[in-house]
Amino acid sequence: MAELLSAEEIIELKGQIAAVHEPRELIIEVLQAVQKSHGWVPDAGVKLAAELLGLSPLQVDEVATFYDKIYRSPVGRKVIHVCDSICCWTRGTELVYRHLQQVLGIVPGETTSDGCFTLLPTCCLGACDKSPAMRIGDRLYGELTVERVNTILADERQETEA
Amino acid sequence: MSQLLFKNRRPNHTVLLDEYRQNGGYQGLEKALRELQPAQIRDEVKASGLRGRGGAGFSTGLKWSFFPFDAPGDKYLVCNGDEMEPGTFKDRALLEADPHQLVEGMVLSAYALNITTGYIFLRYAYDQCYANLQRAIAEAKQAGLLGRNILGSDFSFELHVHRSAGRYICGEETALLNGLEGKRPNPRSKPPFPAIKGLFAKPTVLNNIETLANIPHIVNGGAQWFSDLALTEEGAGTKLYGLAGHLNNRGCVELPMGVTIGELVEEHGGGVWQGRKFKACLPGGASTPYLTAAHLDVAMDYVPLEAVKTRLGTGGLVVFDDQTCMVAATLNLMRFFARESCGWCTPCRDGLPMVCWVLEKIESGQGTVDDVAMLRELLGHINGRSFCALALGAMGPVDGLLRLFEEEVLDHVKKGRCPLPRNSSLKES
Amino acid sequence: MPTLIIDNQSVTVPEGTNVLEAAQQLGIVVPHFCYHEALGAVGACRLCAMLFIDGPVKGMQMSCMVEAKDGMVVSTEAPEAVAYRGQVIEWLMLNHPHDCPVCDEGGECQLQDMTVASGHSVRRYTGKKRTYLNQDLGPFIHHEMNRCIQCYRCVRTYQDYCGGTDYGVLGSNQRLYFGRFQDGPLESPFAGNLIDLCPTGVLTNKPYRFTSRFWDLQEAPSVCPHCSLGCATIPGARFRELQRVRSGNNPEINGCFICDRGRFGYDYVNHSDRPRTPLLHGEEIPWNEALETLLQRLTKLIECHGSDSIALLGSGRASLEANYLLQRLSEQLGSAAPVYGSHAGRDRAARAATTLPTELSASLADVRNSDLILLTGADPLAEGPMLALAIRQAVRNGGRVMICDPRPVELPCSTEYLACQPQELLQLLSALSLGETLPTKLQPLVEALQLAQRPVLIGGGDLLGAEGTTALLAAAQKLNSEDRSCLAMVLLPEANSFGAALLAADGPDFEQLLADMASGRIKALVCLEADPLTDCPDRQQLLQGLEQLDFLAVFDHLPSLIAAKADLLLPTTALAEGAGTLINNEGRMQAFAPVFSPGQPLRITSQGNHPPRSFSTTTPGALPCQAWALLAKLCDLPVDLAKIRRELATQEPRLAGLPDLLAEGSGQRIQSADKPLSQPHALITEQVDALQLLACETLYGSEVLSAHSSPLDPVRPQPYLLLHELDADRLGIAAGDLVRLSAGEIQLTLPAQLSDRMAAGVVIVPHLRRTELESFYPGQPSQPCRVEKVSAL
Repeated sequence: MAELLSAEEIIELKGQIAAVHEPRELIIEVLQAVQKSHGWVPDAGVKLAAELLGLSPLQVDEVATFYDKIYRSPVGRKVIHVCDSICCWTRGTELVYRHLQQVLGIVPGETTSDGCFTLLPTCCLGACDKSPAMRIGDRLYGELTVERVNTILADERQETEA
Repeated sequence: MSQLLFKNRRPNHTVLLDEYRQNGGYQGLEKALRELQPAQIRDEVKASGLRGRGGAGFSTGLKWSFFPFDAPGDKYLVCNGDEMEPGTFKDRALLEADPHQLVEGMVLSAYALNITTGYIFLRYAYDQCYANLQRAIAEAKQAGLLGRNILGSDFSFELHVHRSAGRYICGEETALLNGLEGKRPNPRSKPPFPAIKGLFAKPTVLNNIETLANIPHIVNGGAQWFSDLALTEEGAGTKLYGLAGHLNNRGCVELPMGVTIGELVEEHGGGVWQGRKFKACLPGGASTPYLTAAHLDVAMDYVPLEAVKTRLGTGGLVVFDDQTCMVAATLNLMRFFARESCGWCTPCRDGLPMVCWVLEKIESGQGTVDDVAMLRELLGHINGRSFCALALGAMGPVDGLLRLFEEEVLDHVKKGRCPLPRNSSLKES
Repeated sequence: MPTLIIDNQSVTVPEGTNVLEAAQQLGIVVPHFCYHEALGAVGACRLCAMLFIDGPVKGMQMSCMVEAKDGMVVSTEAPEAVAYRGQVIEWLMLNHPHDCPVCDEGGECQLQDMTVASGHSVRRYTGKKRTYLNQDLGPFIHHEMNRCIQCYRCVRTYQDYCGGTDYGVLGSNQRLYFGRFQDGPLESPFAGNLIDLCPTGVLTNKPYRFTSRFWDLQEAPSVCPHCSLGCATIPGARFRELQRVRSGNNPEINGCFICDRGRFGYDYVNHSDRPRTPLLHGEEIPWNEALETLLQRLTKLIECHGSDSIALLGSGRASLEANYLLQRLSEQLGSAAPVYGSHAGRDRAARAATTLPTELSASLADVRNSDLILLTGADPLAEGPMLALAIRQAVRNGGRVMICDPRPVELPCSTEYLACQPQELLQLLSALSLGETLPTKLQPLVEALQLAQRPVLIGGGDLLGAEGTTALLAAAQKLNSEDRSCLAMVLLPEANSFGAALLAADGPDFEQLLADMASGRIKALVCLEADPLTDCPDRQQLLQGLEQLDFLAVFDHLPSLIAAKADLLLPTTALAEGAGTLINNEGRMQAFAPVFSPGQPLRITSQGNHPPRSFSTTTPGALPCQAWALLAKLCDLPVDLAKIRRELATQEPRLAGLPDLLAEGSGQRIQSADKPLSQPHALITEQVDALQLLACETLYGSEVLSAHSSPLDPVRPQPYLLLHELDADRLGIAAGDLVRLSAGEIQLTLPAQLSDRMAAGVVIVPHLRRTELESFYPGQPSQPCRVEKVSAL
């Protein structure tokens, strides 16, 4: 799995690791680098991180599995995180969530058959003024309605196909 | 109206260094390095009455006074930017608009506390905030406002930004420290407090973004001026209030500390949406006990809210209209807390899911009077008996539910179904 | 010393004691899970709640998290506290399966006890339970995650206490998983402690599975026989079979932990080839005839050839009492004093170790408390595994560890390593003891020794030999002062090496015996739980000597090589089947109690079926007797252990406390010798050019008893040879290559392992019993050897 990170990325990370107090400070950074290039963090990614950080794979995984935004299972090309916390709930996130499940044909935790989207809940995104909100990849979408969700999905799908 | 933190804020605009300086930015820092002793800043902050804006509301000056600023060796200033309390987005609004305030606030605080290294722990999902901070830090370094020998003085301060990967518990200060160190972010036992043994086991001060951003203003305007900004006698400064939930106008506003809930709802929030009535609110985020329409004239400040058995929390007001089922709302909140429990102690890890289970039972019409009694029992057993404050906060809404909406809860039991109309368009049918 | 009141009783406790411990001192049973005396308090389970009525803190508090203070008034029985603890149990039981009847922990489950005690008998929660997939954690530990109550004890034991990095906690909230990154055997040689520490049935003893219920086990306080440290153990037996060993608690030695060699090495007791019947020339004979024959043959030989034609051989495996009675037998026969130990070098090193004044002898508790540990020629994981764990605790407390060794000594903690040739070790120690200047490369060590407040010097008898051991002890004495104590510890090969060496005193050693046997002077040899054929480095000479014997008698419980050659075989009990005393490497006498009576395990006699289909009035395989009892009979002494101990204590003043010893206690140090330590002389070492071969102990496979234990089969290493990377480079050898090792007469082909953390010019082979490396003995000076590459990996 040498392709998990490029040689340049590895050099860059090694430089960062050398500069900090304790290598383990950068566990999340290294895992996020793997996730950025590979979409999710496979076991080999944990092992690679462990090697770079001078830790055991278990020590890395203890931290990796704590955070729900480090994906330790395969995900689609884009992960949809729908906020289900209180402000979004007051503004209809349950409808949005159900609609997403219908149009994507998947339940939370699943990936569409074309490998495009994985649907997951998330706690508060700090977008309570724009609720209901969701994140697709690095993009935040607020003021969601069923219609708006359809447009967003179409655009996002188009982007992955392009 | 006096605007401090949001005075430069404009829609879809981020203040860069030049603009920040044109509007008086970094004058506090210049003044401090030129003519103020660290102790003077500490005294000023203490006298200002500034209280922590992250939720707990502890006096910033008092917190600083526990810090062994003259201890030899490494000491750290950590900014708690893990803003993950539902209903809270004020720090995001601040960093999106005017990030230099945090940088200046941290440099000033570090100067006041004799600290040379700082970290900003920033939550997942705040991408623009991260970019803004990176740029602000680079600009500040470039301009000699950060880094070695700041503004030609003897004082140096390094600032790092750490991004988390999403977990509410990271907002708990000792869990945050573990997170920063690359350990599992379980809270640590206190004592020892972070001021004595914090990051890398060294003395550490932790403050919220909004708290730190207030420091330049206090240094500029003075303690008395800052204190006088508040509408309440005991309050101080301004507050970034969040407006969310069933309101016509949502957003984040800066107002003097102590504005009433009614004023926030009606004048700034544009009233309850869809012409409905105000039923309840969470005054300061998900962990603060509810208030009802009877409390609309209560001032949004620490002391007045404590008087009505709730808390200012983060100041993120979440409003519920009269068609909201409070059992369902509480269930939503409890699911959040149960999921965000770190899993360290039993009441939080296993108690909160049990509360969810009882609430689900009641909401679905399967609940009995015994279940309501069980809920009350669970409230008593979880409250104050968990390892950290997460479960304590989690029980805020349950406390409010049983205190203020007991009849509504019992109505679920009596009717064998949720008594609220289904037309709120917000509930599963 | 704060005084507080708990449940209306007053108790005074040392500063820093928590209220939970204070209550325990009063004999109050405090429910708890996450607290553990060795792991400390972390406040996670919330079960030890008490009501603080008066004093500096008030209200409901977790007693483990509150330090006892003057004026505290605490109630464990307040209704709120009782109700809250009941609630905690209900929470812990939400997801716990109701599988106690089929759970391996049933009957010794803390969760079961606490649940019953709290009165939680009706399940209010009717929701779904979360379930898990289990992992294969290797041959020792069975994993059953559904039973987990998330007390975090396993992680704290494995990672914090034992230094393992391959087992931990994954996930968060209510979805925690305690396990490994992937399925696979746990790497730590202390992993077995998870079995003892897990308060419920998540981590259970795999070899012991489906054998017994706790209440059916016969248990007694015992001492581990698998190295010289003398850890407290509690073996458990049933159906005439030793089924498991758990850790005892000796605060001076092992605390609550033991190593996996000690935990899973027990199965030699159940060995199917174990001698179980007295045999004369292979024919079964009754005990009385056997003993009579022995006496007759020996008396006759003495009549014909004189009293010096008889040799008695004791060992570090046999108990102090048995070894002593061997001496009595020699006196009775008028023969020479017994030889103790079949390896003269090890015997001499052990004798040197016994000269240390008691007050300078370090216990494992002293090691845990030390701020500087200097290891010279000691490999704890191989020669005394629990020492490695004690050193780790010293490091956790801020201590420093410096290692001087030719071997790549690895420890589960951070260390400073200095590769040293074997002869450099002697040089170093003699320089330290004489206050001479050390070579520059050892300068950091001198500085560290000057700064340390509680240094401990640790050596291994095998590498140091008698000379080095003497130098080590003298160095400790030299560095010891009124301002700060400097203690010493020597690792010895066997559980009672110290005791045997003490009895040996100035007596003959095995080299003299070999010479006497070779000369034909010795006509009869009596071996007491000793196997010179596996322990004596000079096997050729030994075989020649054995040829010349008229009579060979062997007392043993192992199916040893010498037992197979015996004219008269006298089956003895294993440690768990009898009582006696061992003296550990620090000079601590420890008594052990009988766990069960010997007998052919039911597993063997019934060939896996149970219950047995045939019945008899006698127990199959029950004939083995305690060696000391047999020897007492031979000496015509009463078969009374107490009397023997009293006599021994009178004979040897250093053993004064022996008669008062209890198996339940933490043992008692012997008295110091009244003569001063011998002083080492300055050493001049020669430069050697050839590669030097060094045979060393390993964690698994070297120690003789555990080498006969089947649960350890999966972890015993295959033979290999270890070379420094520089030497390998020079010889064109890569890791994994097959190489030919030539040393003296022996030529072997072995896979090569390489290391850069070892002395260059040294070749290391592990002493692996029952492999081709069996004939390379530790405790010998290194010998020149050659290594050539045969084929690449």
